[in-house]
Formats: sequence, structure tokens, C-alpha cells
Amino acid sequence: MSIELELRDVARNYGSAVAVAGVSLQVSKGELVALLGPSGCGKTTTLRIVAGFVKPTRGSVHLSGREITNLSPHKRDTGMVFQSYALFPHLSAAENIAFGLKRRGVSRTEIGDRVERMLALLKLEGLGARRPSELSGGQQQRVAVGRALVINPAVVLLDEPFSNLDAQLREGTRIELRRIQQELGLTVLFVTHDQAEAMSISDRVAIMNHGRIEQLDSPRNVYTRPATRFIASFVGKANILEGRLVSRSSQGALYDCEGLRLLARESGDGSDGALVLRPELIRIQRPGPPLAAFNMVTGVVSGVSYSGPVAQLEVSILGDRRLNVEGSGALPLDFPPGSHVALDWKADDLVVCTR
Amino acid sequence: MIISLRHPFGLMLTAVCALVFVYLLLPLVVIVVSAFGDTGYLAFPPKGLTFKWYQAALANPRFIDGFLVSVRVGAVVASISVLVGVAAAYAIVRRPFMGSSLLEALFLSPLLLPTLVLAVALSIFFSAHNIASGTNRLILAHIAICIPYVLRVTIPVLRRFDVTLEEAAMNLGASPSATFFFVTLPVIQPGVIAGATLAFIMSFDEIDLAIFLASPRESTLPVTIYSAVQLGFEPSLAAVSAWLILLTVCAMALFQFLIGRRTNS
Repeated sequence: MSIELELRDVARNYGSAVAVAGVSLQVSKGELVALLGPSGCGKTTTLRIVAGFVKPTRGSVHLSGREITNLSPHKRDTGMVFQSYALFPHLSAAENIAFGLKRRGVSRTEIGDRVERMLALLKLEGLGARRPSELSGGQQQRVAVGRALVINPAVVLLDEPFSNLDAQLREGTRIELRRIQQELGLTVLFVTHDQAEAMSISDRVAIMNHGRIEQLDSPRNVYTRPATRFIASFVGKANILEGRLVSRSSQGALYDCEGLRLLARESGDGSDGALVLRPELIRIQRPGPPLAAFNMVTGVVSGVSYSGPVAQLEVSILGDRRLNVEGSGALPLDFPPGSHVALDWKADDLVVCTR
Repeated sequence: MIISLRHPFGLMLTAVCALVFVYLLLPLVVIVVSAFGDTGYLAFPPKGLTFKWYQAALANPRFIDGFLVSVRVGAVVASISVLVGVAAAYAIVRRPFMGSSLLEALFLSPLLLPTLVLAVALSIFFSAHNIASGTNRLILAHIAICIPYVLRVTIPVLRRFDVTLEEAAMNLGASPSATFFFVTLPVIQPGVIAGATLAFIMSFDEIDLAIFLASPRESTLPVTIYSAVQLGFEPSLAAVSAWLILLTVCAMALFQFLIGRRTNS
């Protein structure tokens, strides 16, 4: 797969404040990459650097094999969908979509054809003559997407495109967007703070924190093999146990966390680190005779949170520590608050983060 | 909240509004009605009924010429004031420079200089420096007093303008100038039209500068009326005013019709 978009050590300062602290990223043709992170992590600034609205203080941006770091926004082959949609209020939906084609000097008949096809693709037939103010939020969002796609940009930039939609519409819309992206083979860079959004539709996720990409990997690896403590706690729920390395053997690395013995298959870089354990990977049982010397602990259920198909239990261990355990919705029936329980997990499920 | 007319407060509100409208409109009614009077002097209520003053007003070439001069001066002043004013407002709002906030405060504060003082100063200036002659002097003077009005209307409109619209336009391939003409200008258009209208009315209505600076061969309508008043207050003057009122009402109706059609489509 050829590389369509590349950022090389891109940074941006505002005075002494650092918005982006050196981001390198490659997006292949036809790939959808999400920039995911908390607000203020630099993801939107990174996107705006690609669009050309922000000039980087360091580094370079390359699109389709050409350096575009200092190119004006209107000369870049990018199609952006703004968080607020930024539809032109004085133009109809069809005229909004046609705007980029007109600037490119496309003939009138071809503009008509391509706008019609885009309206059909986005299920906006018959709404072309309406002004943005006469469209629903979901329809406005689709016009904004159509306006960015119709010019066949080398890369589509999405800035929180679903954040203004209500929850039910959001899920359907992102699946629809993924379908269109794969159908047309679009290269997409997509900014979001919503991990479910990023995880569900991306080929790869770049997790940003303090202006840097902390991990760039498939959604699955980001979740099961988080590279840092921040990612472990930011993506999904995680139990994070700070451990001291005791010994290493062919079986794995043995850590000690306040008396709790933890055996991890991966040993990290051989130093102390955080052991990450996902709540759904913990097995919960009634207490029996202790069998193993590690990866097992007893405790008391101290809290229950039920949400239909799944339930979360909070288990107090080692006095004041808490482990979160996730299981089926029936879990609270078997283990009501106050019950004594034994928890254990596999060595393969412990991930060591040294950063 | 809708206040019922039957409610005592609603009743009072209606009464106050009615009084304000009467106060504002009664002078206009007096002018229109008294111009129908069949006397050689202006009287209210009028005695008799005649259209001759209305005909006389239209038949008098001085009034027609004055009207045409005023329209021409107003149109030129409005056009140039809008060109300069919108550009200046854009610079102040979008490309702030050193002293731009001071300039803005100056333009947005009430004008303190009486136009009469300005008129005297400018007539001295123009006689000392031969940079313009005739009606052009008046046009330059009017532009100077009209630009602040354009700024006052367009600066708040530009402040409310969503800058992401310009980013969207540029992202779609519009050059900075195309972005301005195809996106920014159409969106702020109501403010620009309001500024142009205000400038035209200011210029059309202005008399101090016109008396001092207008060419004697090309008097504006206010100057023509003013000199006619000095000779005697005959009903044809009221008829001229009545014709102007009619013209304004027609212009407003047309404007409303066009705006209404634009927002409905």
C-alpha cells in the first residue's frame, strides 16, 4: 500500500505553550486512521496542520508524495468536514456540495452529475434545493461530508464529525461513513475524543497525549496491548497495579505489588512497571483453597453497578485496594455486596507498561 | 411571553406604542395633507382641495435637478463609503494591527464634531488646496462623514461572522479573494446593504456641508428646498416633501419584498 499522507516530526508551539510536540504519522491509501485523545492533546491542531490552517513550527507534511508544509490551504488536495459543519448559509445543499467543483473549474453539466450522485450516495435525494437552515442536524452533517468528498480529495479530514449528532444517530452515521470510505477507497484522517467511535471504524488508532502520539496501532492492539499507563486508563476500563520486578524466568516475569504476586508473560523492558488487567479478563469464584502462588487474590465485593447485559463489580483486596471485575448481567445475583470472592487471571492477560 | 391586550399592562403598552407612533408620524401626515390646501400659503388643516402644488413641485426644474444631484451624490457616496468602509471593517476585525482597537473605538463612539464646523474647515481646505472642484468636493466631504456609519454597521456583523466558513471555502479550493466574494461578502450582505442605505440617506439628507461645498450650479435637494424656504413657505415645498415620503415608502416596500423573497426561497 502506498503512503498517501505523511507527517514527519511535526510540532507547533503557541508562545511557550506546546500544542503539538513532534508527531510522525503515515496514512496509507484507502486507510482510515483516527487521532484519539483527551481535549487539549493536540489532535485538532494536527488535523489543522494537515489542512494548512495552522503552520507547523517544525517538521514537514507530505501528501501524495509532495511536500505541502508551506502550501496555502486552498492549494491542498484535502477535503475537510468541520465539527460545526461550516455549511455556507446562503447556498442550498446542492450549491454547498458544488462549491469545490466550481472553484476547480469543472464544467456545469459535470457538476450537476457529480452533485446528484453525491446526494444519492448520502441519501439526500430531493433535498438539494434546501438551505442548511432547513435541514436536520443529520442531513447537514451529510451535506458537509458530501461537500468534502465530491472533490475527490487525496485525504479526507474529519474533525469530530459526529459530536453534534444525538447518540442513536451517531452510531448509524459512523457505520455509514465507514461503508462509504471502504466503497470509495478513501484515505481518511479522523479526529475524535470518543474512543468507541475511533475503535469501531478505524483501521488504526493514533492515541495522543500532551501533543505526542503515544501509540499507533490497530484498535485491537491498542486495547489489548496498551503501550503506556495513560493509554491503558484512557481506552476502556483497566485495573492498573504498580509492580516491582522480582525475577524473570522462562515462564515470564514475576512482579510484586504490595504482597500480591503477579506473573506476566511479557516482561516489558525488564524494569518495574504498571501491570494492566482488563476487568472482563478476571475470573471471579467463591473462595476455595489457594492453588497458585501468583495471579490470584481473595477479596470482598464492595460495590455493584448493573447496566443490562453487563455488570461491574468492585472488589476490595489487600485492605484498601480495589479491583474492577466485569461479567454478565447475572454476576450481582451470585456475588452480592459483602460476599467473599476469589479472583484469578491468566499470565497472558497481564500487560506490563513501563511508561 | 405574549402579553394579552386585555391585561392592564398590555393595554398600557398598546397605548404608549400608539402615542409614540402618532408622535413620529403626525408631522408627516401634516405635510402630506397640508400640501393639498388651496391657499397660497401653508395651512393646517388645509382649506379646499387641489393637486396643483403636487403638480407644481414636479414641474419645477430646480426641484427635479436638485433631486437628481442628490441621488447622484448619494449613490457615489454610498458606493465609495461601502467599498472603503467594508474593507476597513474587515481589516479591523480580521487583521488587527497596532492602533486598530483605538480606531474602532473612535469610529464606534458618537460623532462629536458638528458638521457645520467640518463644513467651514473643509471649505477653507478646498479653497487652499485645489484637489477637487464642484460637486466632487461635496462627495469627498460626504464620504468622510459616511464611512464611520458603514463601519458601525459592518464591524458587528463581521464580529459575528463564523470564521470556519472561510476555512471551509479555502479547504474546497477557493483562493482568499474567491473566499471573500463567494462566502464572506454574501453572508455579511445584510450588513453591507444596511451600511450603503445609511450612507445614502445621510448624504441625501445632509445640508450643512452641501450649503458650503456644493457647486452653485449643482445644488442638492436639501439646499434647493432651504433656499426656497428663505423666499417664502409655499405649499409646493410641502408637496416636494410629500413626494419624497411617497418615494421612501415605495423603496421600503420594494426592499421588504425583495428581502422577503430571498429568505423564503
